[in-house]
Amino acid sequence: MGLKLHYQNQKPHFARRWRTLLPRVIGVFLLQFFASGRGQSQVIDNEKPIPILSGTAGFLTSVTAGQTLLDTQINPVLLLPLGDRWLVESRGEFEGQFQRQPGGGSFGGPVDKHLDYLQADYIANRYVTFTAGRFLTPFGIFNERLYPEWIRALQPDPLILPIATASSDGAMLRGGFPVSPAVNLNYAAYVSATSIDVNGVESERHAGGRLGFFFPRSRVEVGASWQKVLQDDRKNTFGFHFAWQPAAVPLSVHSEVVRSNQGSGYWLEGAYRLSQAHFWQKAMRHTEVVAREQQFFSGNISSDDAQSFGLPGASARETDFGVNYFLKDGFKAVGSYGRQFSSAGNFNQWTVGIVYRFLVPLGRAGTP
Amino acid sequence: MKRSLVFFFVLVVALSAFAGSSNKKESFAVTPAVHAADTDTMRALGEQRFRANCGRCHAAPQKFPPRAMSTVLRHMRVRATITDEDMRLVLFYMTQ
Repeated sequence: MGLKLHYQNQKPHFARRWRTLLPRVIGVFLLQFFASGRGQSQVIDNEKPIPILSGTAGFLTSVTAGQTLLDTQINPVLLLPLGDRWLVESRGEFEGQFQRQPGGGSFGGPVDKHLDYLQADYIANRYVTFTAGRFLTPFGIFNERLYPEWIRALQPDPLILPIATASSDGAMLRGGFPVSPAVNLNYAAYVSATSIDVNGVESERHAGGRLGFFFPRSRVEVGASWQKVLQDDRKNTFGFHFAWQPAAVPLSVHSEVVRSNQGSGYWLEGAYRLSQAHFWQKAMRHTEVVAREQQFFSGNISSDDAQSFGLPGASARETDFGVNYFLKDGFKAVGSYGRQFSSAGNFNQWTVGIVYRFLVPLGRAGTP
Repeated sequence: MKRSLVFFFVLVVALSAFAGSSNKKESFAVTPAVHAADTDTMRALGEQRFRANCGRCHAAPQKFPPRAMSTVLRHMRVRATITDEDMRLVLFYMTQ
């Protein structure tokens, strides 16, 4: 009994001491973790990187519910590497959307310009990259990876794209590393610390993260995202993503699912390159056919709020088909047809156009 | 108890320092390994990693000049969270 009392008396003392020591131990671990990449910079790059100007230019014509829209878009991307570990990167968007005025006449409309991201990245080591500034929110995969016109297989956005993908202004930790020969883990954790709405630069306070597992042998990636708004209703948003590129066939499958207060939904897309066709091989190997099925379920916000947010005003289901023809590297002709079914009305959407990915080295590009 | 905690703390520092130095050795060892390895094997590995990683999102781009490719891969390392090893192998493949 006496021993027990002695132990009970000691426990708080030990716990107090442990509480004091624990942060130091974690601090030392973190210091070593971050320091473990020192010296690695000498082998990060086989060639010294130079600044480059890249991006996409696209001209699309779409007819949605009988209304013709001419969409011209330029998305310049500036990449500025500094030293062995730094990268400053930025993407702007200049988009003109021109429609025929009611009653006829010439096409006219607004030219929107905004900054998608302007961020500084510090590659601390093979596990961690620090990012600060304005960055694309790592929620799901479409916003960060598939958004550029030269990358996306279908030009119309997925219905759920506006959910949890507003650009973030703050800081982020991210990275990707193998956890075994068969599995790579990738992660991102971020805080958008400011709430800005100045001259088209909009953001909100939120925090979140994404965790993904990539299986290189089967070329499958699965992952989950989470975001919590740190203002107003402080709601949570959850998302899941999936990607698969089987090695045996030139097929690329992507999918996202999202659940939020603004609405929920999913999209599933498959793109098949006809390089294995046994006829018209010269043309077929440049041709890609695409199909996307998606659904959106209205959330707990009004129809007007949803539409101002970029979401459908009512629950909707949409099926799209498309064909892409790769004229040459980074230059492709695109065409798609989709039909949306909704209680607000069904309609067709046709899109044709060309998109071009450019890259201009801003320095001596050859081997020094 | 105090002595145990100090010992534990010293042990943690020593272990983590050792872990750090191991990583340094590993990272420095990559360069000679890359140069000594058979070029064809490296290229094949690089192509394999290229198709697995880059093919997740887009079709194979043309090969750009080496220094531009190096910038692109640094960008993609951050954007697509590809691993350090994959980035090096893909860079090797894309600059050959």
